[in-house]
Amino acid sequence: MPSNARAATVFVAVVALLIALPFVGGDYYIYLFALVFINVILAASLRPSLTCGQLNIGHSAFMCIGAYTSALLAKNLGVPFEVSLLCGALLAAVVGLAIGYPSLRLRGVYFAMVTVAFVEAIRLIASIWVPLTRGNAGLSVPKPSLLGMSLATRTSQYYLALVLMLIVLVILYKLERSRLGLVWKSIGMAENLAQSLGVDIANHKLLAFTLGCFFAGVAGAFYAHFIRFLFPPEFGFLLATNILVYNFVGGRGHFAGPVVGAVFLSLLSEPFRGSPYETIFFSIVMLLTILFLPGGLITLPGKLAGLRRWRPTSGTYAPPASA
Amino acid sequence: MLEVRDLKVRYGAVEALKGLSFRVSERSIVSLIGANGAGKTTSLRALTGLVQPSGGEVRFENTSLVGLAPHEIVRLGIAHVPEGRRLFPKMTVFENLKMGAYLRTSKAQMASTLAMIYEHFPILEERGRQLAGSLSGGEQQMLAIARALMSRPKLLLLDEPSMGLSPIMTAEIGKIIRQINALDVSIILVEQNAMLALTLARYGYVLQTGALVLQGDAQELLQDDGVKKAYLGL
Repeated sequence: MPSNARAATVFVAVVALLIALPFVGGDYYIYLFALVFINVILAASLRPSLTCGQLNIGHSAFMCIGAYTSALLAKNLGVPFEVSLLCGALLAAVVGLAIGYPSLRLRGVYFAMVTVAFVEAIRLIASIWVPLTRGNAGLSVPKPSLLGMSLATRTSQYYLALVLMLIVLVILYKLERSRLGLVWKSIGMAENLAQSLGVDIANHKLLAFTLGCFFAGVAGAFYAHFIRFLFPPEFGFLLATNILVYNFVGGRGHFAGPVVGAVFLSLLSEPFRGSPYETIFFSIVMLLTILFLPGGLITLPGKLAGLRRWRPTSGTYAPPASA
Repeated sequence: MLEVRDLKVRYGAVEALKGLSFRVSERSIVSLIGANGAGKTTSLRALTGLVQPSGGEVRFENTSLVGLAPHEIVRLGIAHVPEGRRLFPKMTVFENLKMGAYLRTSKAQMASTLAMIYEHFPILEERGRQLAGSLSGGEQQMLAIARALMSRPKLLLLDEPSMGLSPIMTAEIGKIIRQINALDVSIILVEQNAMLALTLARYGYVLQTGALVLQGDAQELLQDDGVKKAYLGL
């Protein structure tokens, strides 16, 4: 079966399973998977700027902006969820544009440092601006609603998260397969070469970065109304590195990489969620990946198949699957 | 078509080009030869906007190129095949070609250019879905040249196309350069292989540590005693 058809089959099967989950699993699994969907959006939305070769270690800042914007609009002004979610995402994108524009000329570690500084700045603003955000006392948030109906049950919120995730993934996938995606890839692979072919590098990087911020804002806005309590320290550096780790552990060579990484790590780290062991767990997984599976989890099936093929007929050489 | 006057480029304290002047006329092949560090690559990078000159003037069909961004210069009809890493290794051959047509958004135009290219480089059509990094050295060079042609340039800048190639492959690339020139594309050929450069070109310029030391008809340069001794090993 061609790999595209196989991927489509896997995708449909997984979506079917996820639709069926509330009928078989209890409230705990519904809650857990909704959180996983949020992580998938965060991980996948970081991919465009990673593809351009930008190491963004501040993605959680944009989630934070989306979360607080949506929460405050809904709580203080009674704005419906659809609108507040969009406003949160847009503000995250606008702030992303403002941060991205001056830092574009920085490369590698210097760009990464700006994003680290920024994530801490946003966290501190959320902690200190007590009259607006209630600071570290935390902010309670109303439930999400859709077309005027309050989505009070966990099951309805789960389906909302699923739909949001699928929309975001389809958009990002279409973009990656388009001309724009090819250009992003070219910038990450050989920036100077792309430039000499006439690619406007600065604007394409900015677009990739801003787009990622927008979808991080979407994830944040949903998170706010789902968890219903915002606490600034949760949006710190640690969450940002986790999003990055999802991408590297899942694999950077394919669109499915960050999705696989986010699902795998979110589920596996669930026993440690919120405890100091979570950081240790992520560090160990990251190290193991770098050492034994540098291409990430998505290269694992290919490697296993390679091993199996290699043993009986040691003469045949299978070319590595193009990523 | 292209006129370069007193072009200067500095890298920090080092002056890499100390006032270079040359011209390229319509449908001609001009070569810049010289040893490592003579400023050949730098002069191409200055023409395409990848480095900003610190002085001098570059005019292409009556437009000044100084201060333009690389993508604006490509749009005017200048394509560059840089030295060193010339391809996107983890893209397919076809994707590399598509990147070459980056500024040509019309699909019909791209298809006709692609057909022309496959006619000249049938191997690239055969290998269309293969990763560019898995091609042989000669095929990679062909792909790099073909990709530059995808932008339908009027002027093609080739930086050391023979680097790392076998003598047979070098001869093949020479043939391709002539074919491209026959399609009315002017070419600036930068080479350390002075023999190849001067047999292909009509006019040659000899660079030494950032300055022009000699120029003339390629045939005359081939006979020049200094050139023979310094660059042809005769």
